[in-house]
Amino acid sequence: MMSDGLTHGEWSEAVADGELLGQRCPDCGAVQGAPKAACPHCGSTALETVALPTEGAVYTETTINVPPAGVEERGYQVVVVQLGDARVMGRLRGDAVGIGDRVALSDSITDEDGYVAPVFEAV
Amino acid sequence: MARAAVVGAGMTKFGVHDKPLQELFAEAALTALEDAGVAPPEIEAFYFGNAMGGQTENDTHLGPKLATHVGMAGIPVQRFEDACATSSNAFKNAVEAVEGGHHDVVLVGGVERCTPKTGKDTAEMTRIFGSASHRQYEQPTGLTFPGVFALFTKRHMHEHGTTERHLAEVAVKNHGNGSLNEKAHFGKSTSVEEVLDSPVVADPFRLMDCCPFSDGASAVVVVSDDLADSYDAAVDVAGVGHGTDIVPLADKETPHVTIAARNAASEAYEQADTTADAIDFAEVHDCFTGAEVLASEALGLVADGEGGPAAADGTTARDGEIPINASGGLKAKGHPIGATGTGQIVELTQQIRGDAGTHQLDGVERGAAHNLGGDAATTIVTVMEGR
Repeated sequence: MMSDGLTHGEWSEAVADGELLGQRCPDCGAVQGAPKAACPHCGSTALETVALPTEGAVYTETTINVPPAGVEERGYQVVVVQLGDARVMGRLRGDAVGIGDRVALSDSITDEDGYVAPVFEAV
Repeated sequence: MARAAVVGAGMTKFGVHDKPLQELFAEAALTALEDAGVAPPEIEAFYFGNAMGGQTENDTHLGPKLATHVGMAGIPVQRFEDACATSSNAFKNAVEAVEGGHHDVVLVGGVERCTPKTGKDTAEMTRIFGSASHRQYEQPTGLTFPGVFALFTKRHMHEHGTTERHLAEVAVKNHGNGSLNEKAHFGKSTSVEEVLDSPVVADPFRLMDCCPFSDGASAVVVVSDDLADSYDAAVDVAGVGHGTDIVPLADKETPHVTIAARNAASEAYEQADTTADAIDFAEVHDCFTGAEVLASEALGLVADGEGGPAAADGTTARDGEIPINASGGLKAKGHPIGATGTGQIVELTQQIRGDAGTHQLDGVERGAAHNLGGDAATTIVTVMEGR
């Protein structure tokens, strides 16, 4: 059985619409936050697209003061958020958060090449 | 029987070098050849690492260019790119080639220029280094490489109680070690206070927790085990393990555990028929102080959670139980990306021979090198021993 084929384009449209899509492996049960052609744990190509929770706890975070070229802001926080069985990386907006704090998807940002990233805020 | 042997080693000082890549590389390569007593035409193949010459100086297809420059045109040349683990991967493939009988005498090396003085500014280099993170699922967040290792280290601090002071102790140790190494980018010692007073780059990392952008080159001559005894100062390659992990980092099972390093270390130790306890010294990939903490635990040199305290209490000092980064490490010796991996092999070779000069360790027979690429999704661990 082939994966239902979640693409980066579909994932991005969902983020822009306030949703997070991930993939569940029917063979080993692993859940991933970033679309792939096969399960990184067992190699199954039967991955199913699933809607991830949009609220969860901060798994880890950092505040970046020296940004790459193309990013004008400084002192922005990047978070990895535990959303059910998956984790997703995003940008934080608003009050700073620490590991374990609850955050929810609130928006998205787009980089200079048009790639989107989820934006989370403390809840 | 060893998998292969290193019979010649050379490196430039890591730092600022205002000269083209081929001239910088020749300095390391010709030193390695001379050290081995091998003339360029005796080299049968060249395994080469450069991570980002295309992005930084519009210079690609460097293999034949460099081979030509050092008198080796015509032989098979392969170039590797695995972010910061670039030349270790070249080394692994060279070891396999001589072990498998495809070649008997090969050159392995890397070169890179990363300093703002000879190339692009900090913001542009931060962007180029960031290209090793996932283009679609990480880069759009504004993630940088200090940020990647900050995410790992913050979680490690949360789970194990590692402190910013522990991280500062790693920097103090490695700067102290670098001050003894004439090839090091930084020749100055520092203090915990100076580290903790430096500006924050990506918390918990301050400027003094981060390795510099360096220019430099390194090279080694690798021969088959059968031939090793016909050279003056062969050092055995007892094991080379190569692990990879899931990208992006949010999908890794437990990111700060750096499973690729654990797998690579197990593989290398098994090949070498040794264990972490029998390793006398190690060079680990301390691109950031937190990365040394993760690496020293992943290699089993200290217990999980003890990487920070080990730097603070002297366990990993040059006169400690298990010296880590006696060269100064990436933190003080410097980090010319594609030259870093074989730079560690040069260091292991010289320490085991007793040739490390002013930063020689006492009585070391067996060393390990840990070189990672990207978010540690590539890690290569090498064990070398006196022959």
